[in-house]
Amino acid sequence: MTDPRSVGPAALPRLVGARVARREDPRFLTGQGSYVDDHRPARLLYAAFLRSPQAHARIVAIDASAALALPGVTAVLTGEEIARASKPVRAASKTPAVKVTSFPPLALGKVRHVGEAVAMIAAENRYVAEDAVERIVVEYEPLPLITDMERALEAASPLVHEEAGTNLLVAREFARGDVDAALASAAVVVRERFRFHRHTAICMENRGCLAEYATGSGTLTLRSSAQCPGIVRDVLTDLLDMPEHQIRVIAEDVGGGFGAKASLYPEEIATCVMARRLGRPVKWIGDRREDLLATTHAWDEIIDAELGLDRDGAIVGLRAQVTADIGAYSIYPWTAAIEPVQTISFLPGPYRVPTYRGRTRGVATCKTPLGPYRGVGRPPAVFVIEGLMDRAARRLGLDPTEIRLRNFIRDEDFPYKSPSGIVWDRASFTASLLRAREAMDYDAVRAEQARARAAGRWLGIGVASYVELTGIGSAIPVAPGVPIATGTEAATIRVDPAGKVTAVFGVASHGQGLETTLAQIVADEVGVPIEDVRVLHGDTALSPYGTGTYASRSLVLAGGAAIMAGRAVREKMLTIAGHLLEADPADLVPAAGRLAVRGMPDRSVTVREIARAAYTGVKQLPKGLEPGLEATRFYDPYYGTASNATHLAVVEVDRATCHVSVLRYLVVEDCGRMVNPLIVDGQVHGGVAQGLGAALLEEIVYDEHGQLLSGTLMDYVVPSACEVPWMEVHHLETPSPVTLGGFRGMGEGGTIGAPAAIANAVADALAPLGVEVAELPVTPERIFRLVSRGP
Amino acid sequence: MKPPKFEYHAPRTVDEALALLGRYGGDAKVLAGGQSLMPLLNFRLARPAALVDLNRIPSLAFIEESGGRVRLGAMTRQRTIEFSPVVAQRLPLLKEATRWVGHLPIRTRGTIGGSIAHADPSAEYPAVLTALEGEVVARGAKGERVIKAADLFQTYLTTTLTPDEILTEVRLPAMAAGAGYALEEFSRRHGDFAIIGIAAVVVRDGQRCKTARLATAGAGPVPVRLRAAEEILERDGLGEAAIEAAARKATELVDPDSDIHASADYRRHLTGVLTKRALVRAIGVARG
Ligand SMILES: Cc1cc2nc3c(=O)[nH]c(=O)nc-3n(C[C@H](O)[C@H](O)[C@H](O)COP(=O)(O)OP(=O)(O)OC[C@H]3O[C@@H](n4cnc5c(N)ncnc54)[C@H](O)[C@@H]3O)c2cc1C
Repeated sequence: MTDPRSVGPAALPRLVGARVARREDPRFLTGQGSYVDDHRPARLLYAAFLRSPQAHARIVAIDASAALALPGVTAVLTGEEIARASKPVRAASKTPAVKVTSFPPLALGKVRHVGEAVAMIAAENRYVAEDAVERIVVEYEPLPLITDMERALEAASPLVHEEAGTNLLVAREFARGDVDAALASAAVVVRERFRFHRHTAICMENRGCLAEYATGSGTLTLRSSAQCPGIVRDVLTDLLDMPEHQIRVIAEDVGGGFGAKASLYPEEIATCVMARRLGRPVKWIGDRREDLLATTHAWDEIIDAELGLDRDGAIVGLRAQVTADIGAYSIYPWTAAIEPVQTISFLPGPYRVPTYRGRTRGVATCKTPLGPYRGVGRPPAVFVIEGLMDRAARRLGLDPTEIRLRNFIRDEDFPYKSPSGIVWDRASFTASLLRAREAMDYDAVRAEQARARAAGRWLGIGVASYVELTGIGSAIPVAPGVPIATGTEAATIRVDPAGKVTAVFGVASHGQGLETTLAQIVADEVGVPIEDVRVLHGDTALSPYGTGTYASRSLVLAGGAAIMAGRAVREKMLTIAGHLLEADPADLVPAAGRLAVRGMPDRSVTVREIARAAYTGVKQLPKGLEPGLEATRFYDPYYGTASNATHLAVVEVDRATCHVSVLRYLVVEDCGRMVNPLIVDGQVHGGVAQGLGAALLEEIVYDEHGQLLSGTLMDYVVPSACEVPWMEVHHLETPSPVTLGGFRGMGEGGTIGAPAAIANAVADALAPLGVEVAELPVTPERIFRLVSRGP
Repeated sequence: MKPPKFEYHAPRTVDEALALLGRYGGDAKVLAGGQSLMPLLNFRLARPAALVDLNRIPSLAFIEESGGRVRLGAMTRQRTIEFSPVVAQRLPLLKEATRWVGHLPIRTRGTIGGSIAHADPSAEYPAVLTALEGEVVARGAKGERVIKAADLFQTYLTTTLTPDEILTEVRLPAMAAGAGYALEEFSRRHGDFAIIGIAAVVVRDGQRCKTARLATAGAGPVPVRLRAAEEILERDGLGEAAIEAAARKATELVDPDSDIHASADYRRHLTGVLTKRALVRAIGVARG
């Protein structure tokens, strides 16, 4: 752990904080990105997977002879064959809260969800591969279905994983104080059964991977559309029983991830095994149908929650139970616990909650596995706590902003330990809400609402305030009990003999603009123009050890490492420059691309001259100084840091059609010191768009047979540009006292606040009818049923 | 999502195309804009032995007005219709409906013939064809026949066209000068197929209604002509009460299905809401 107070200002603090245009965009906008599918090595084979049409069935026999007989087909792989080449994936956890189960790369013995990969074909092109897939004959013996998470908990329910002896794979409880007594004596108790339906990420680039095995050197290279190349490399080592230095995982340009590409996937393993077996490159590019069937889903929780308050509207206790449908498998490395445990951990929100009991359960069913998705657990948690706050405000006759102001963790409470044990370093809950009220002219909008109501219109205002934990260090794992190191990241900064800078990171950028923000930090620290900095990432062979990009961590962790490595390089540059100029390094001042002696601008050396001396001018270096100009540093922010925001939404519900229009959307966010406000805005915009999808449109639907009904983008409805409202984004900058640079993570926030803000706005619009919004997405159909049924 | 193998032909004339269809004896499919057929092929829901591509037959793309009707060649792009002065003048309802068809790139490829032959019950053009009492011309080995809208649509994605026939032309009577019209639609997203769409045409004579035409999209397996609702207006005029009664009647005339986006009840409700909105707007712009 590095104490932030021990680090002074950057060499040339000019770029951090500036709206620097994204350096990766010219490449993307001119079609020069380098995605997995852009790579076509010689002798390439194309893969396709046979996927289960059944939700739960025993595999009696697989006959692939007709497929293999098809011209152009090279090989087939089944569960039994792959079991000889790869171990099954077992997402381990150090906590007893999680039951560890196996996830075979190809179904073994039985299938557990529609879309599960059963067999793999390698062929000369994808067309033939799909023809071959159709010719594989699988005999299935249907098993009793398990599709309802609550029924799956009944003793008589069939089991998804016999080895677990139960479908309850995750069970955990957090408690503080005597919540039962607090609720029993509370002046007001509001309770609700909330339902947050299943969701999925929909990345522009579907998942895909390309494995090449060099038989001569015994090295395996996997290109994957993945967020965490480091994690994939490490686990392949174990699964395939190969040494780490022989495996290289590359995630070059990745077209979106949103958490859904943060886990290890069966197709990655199968592609490696196939390439190794055939000694030929094998590529699999998932199509949209596969993406909807076999990329992890999100949320899918029932949350029963009760909030007690005293007469003044101060919270006295919160009691809740989360039940999550985690689907058929516990995913690596995060386990089935990631969503349900995060939800219950974050449920108390930004409030002082003196007593709490939160129980959470993760239940296996015959559906696509649940995984992390932008916000993990927090979008449902915020929907619940903010929904309860509004219900309480209505009961107490308080304005929703007022009840929040009465309960926020106050500035003097920091650092504040939440009932689930999270430590909030410092945040601006009150300030962000007040600023949001002011920016919206809240009272005027309330007055307008009163007029609209009088005219019979359904206009509503929704508030959501949240806090999220970002930049998590080694004190706690990102997901409960995962045995991998999520708390550190490294940076290597190398100044070449020409004085240009290459900065290499173990994180991977897949839309966040890290090639820009990290370059800004490096340029300031080393003291060079940004044009002289090149950022490399997403390649385990190039980078120092690291896991990847997830959990709003990369700017905090990789940015901190960049500061440390940049300082080390800078230090050495000063030493060399002092020697060259025959001056005390302490007397040197930076100017663009050079260092000069204070007060004597013509006594200076350029970065290029310093670099040249570092590599080639051994005689020019101070005695004993090691040549070269590079440094690798690891950074661990230890606890992590809070990031917070208030979202305000104004909506109108069409009384006749039940359509929801978002009339205004306003965000006041605080991610500490901003490296690049342009990119912060972009992250908020994208996050809110996804949160709006969750609030109003997107829902993964299964029927009672476990068949996916939302299996195309006509049925899984994501917002398009036409559905996304204009957003007003305001910033507060409360530097984190605990991270290098004062940065806080902010990649997920938009998605965390938007579902609750929009749900609360719809509920506010419908309040005169006495109905509540307890289910998301709140589709026109659901509103129609709510308003037809009445309170 | 790759199609199974098929043969591909790009004839230059309708006769050549018909000969090819004959050769495959019902196992070939006509390719127009491909906006509906290509997804069906990629999902392997359609597996024809061959595609007969109409895109290189220039004689199938035209818009002509004569004798009080407008003829549109089957391969006329939706985007062309959107900007056609003839359509704007004579068939403003068709122009308005075109705005609701997908997005710009889809309309740039998609054709009027393809949309009608495909017979998606939620599509706009079949509703317009029904409301305007249009007809289509089909050519087959045995010659040409004219099919009225009412006789064309059988059920989901199914028409009375035979597999060896090509829809060559769509004929729509020019709308009366001063006719009021509107297409009201509800979909979950801009550019999506209708959950419910209502096409309305009103020819007025003061507060009297000379003719009213109402047809649905999305309210069942085929577009539904709401004749009994039209009659209420033609009998009782264009006052508020008549509009209300017609809208109520519309909800009784449809028998929609439920799917994951909308229940039958909600669709029926929307049928009433949108009928009323379409009528109010149509009456508002009607002259006479
Ligand atoms: C994202 C998306 C959104 C869309 N949204 C809408 C919407 O909101 N409303 C809407 O109406 N449509 C929508 N469409 C469909 C679009 O309008 C299509 O253009 C239309 O359905 C089919 O026209 P096409 O020319 O592309 O026909 P194709 O796809 O080429 O053919 C469709 C079918 O019709 C047959 N066919 C085509 N032409 C003829 C002919 N001349 N004679 C006989 N048979 C023929 C084909 O064999 C095929 O079976 C959407 C499409 C997409 C991809």
